[in-house]
Amino acid sequence: MASYQDPLDRIVAGNRVYAQHTTEQDPTAFVELSKGQAPEILWIGCADSRVPETTVCNCRPGDIFVHRNIANTVHADDLNAASVVEYAVAFLKVRKVVVCGHTKCGGAVASLGDADLGVTLNTWLHPVRELRRKHKTELERLLDDDARAVRVAELNVHQSLDVLKQHPAIKKAINERGLSLHGLIYDIGQGQLRLLEETSSKKSNGLWSPN
Amino acid sequence: MSDPERVQKYLQQSHDKIFESNRKWAEEQKAKNPEFFEKLSAGQSPEYLWIGCSDSRIPAEAITGLGPGEMFIHRNIANLVCNTDLNVMSVVNYAVRHLKVKHIVVCGHYGCGGVKAAMTPQDLGLLNPWLRNIRDVYRLHEDELDTIKEDGPRYDRLVELNVMEQARNVIKTAAIQQAYKRDGFPIVHAWVFGFNDGLLKDLKLDFESELAKIQKIYNLPS
Repeated sequence: MASYQDPLDRIVAGNRVYAQHTTEQDPTAFVELSKGQAPEILWIGCADSRVPETTVCNCRPGDIFVHRNIANTVHADDLNAASVVEYAVAFLKVRKVVVCGHTKCGGAVASLGDADLGVTLNTWLHPVRELRRKHKTELERLLDDDARAVRVAELNVHQSLDVLKQHPAIKKAINERGLSLHGLIYDIGQGQLRLLEETSSKKSNGLWSPN
Repeated sequence: MSDPERVQKYLQQSHDKIFESNRKWAEEQKAKNPEFFEKLSAGQSPEYLWIGCSDSRIPAEAITGLGPGEMFIHRNIANLVCNTDLNVMSVVNYAVRHLKVKHIVVCGHYGCGGVKAAMTPQDLGLLNPWLRNIRDVYRLHEDELDTIKEDGPRYDRLVELNVMEQARNVIKTAAIQQAYKRDGFPIVHAWVFGFNDGLLKDLKLDFESELAKIQKIYNLPS
């Protein structure tokens, strides 16, 4: 891509190129998109700029319904994520819900310690820091902080999935039409997605056992 | 094949599709630039924060021609920025105070299902409190919106007014006001995406004058 003095010019120009390319490849692309959306997947991922879901999954506009926040965390009392889930599951009837964490996650790294990030971020990351405390023994055995951050990211994905399983629309869709939930980790250094094994079902009663 | 079996097979295929696509994409990137992923591993320093709609048709990086590492992203129903929402406020805080983004784009889109749902005379349960914010935007601009007789154009105008209002909500935060006073950025923008041509429309929010107006009441510069 050409270089631009002003970063804003760059994305405005990028958008023109996108619109032109899309129309060249398929003159009816925007007519079709105007009609509506029927995504099969709800993606709950991190706000991190290095994990753009549609790009890294080689998908097209219209394929993935998206919620992205700090450290792909789903809190039980968060109306923002709950509204996205309600809309995607009850109205759009997506077939899959995925929660995708990633390596080198700033939120996971920050959760390895208790540095003061300001009251907003401290509160948001509190459940992730709690995970670190709960799994202290397991994490201490790991080689370095990189490995610990990946493990915290995995645990966080499982925790978000556990919270999602309590969402009324998800409960209903699992029973009525076989909706399924999946955990993923995206490896930024490899550009690859890894599917997490379903390990959290045993813990869905909210009890935790030390590792 | 029985129906449940067919459904099961279909689910597996749509699931596998993502992994196949992802492997293909990763190989392509490595072929183009062998150090692509190593560089991304080193960290992110995006210039932009994008606050957009969850709608599957508007993948922010794809429609702006940006690659991985260039844009920090929050997406929710109808691109709302609510002052009591810890989720969006954490994103804004992190993007402004830690990543020091230069531009914040609040981007809505015409034909937004969330905006339409918000104006539907129906109890939508869990969605009511979230969508209520859009009805509040309508009330703020009731006089103007009521003069538009046709539903389509009225929704489209509400989409624009909603984006402007959410951009104002970003400007009301202490994080933005303090960073701007110190660094001269970030600048907040209000845009709308149109499916009919795939183009972004700048609603031309004048950041400086909007900030001045907002700080008459919501003044949190230190």
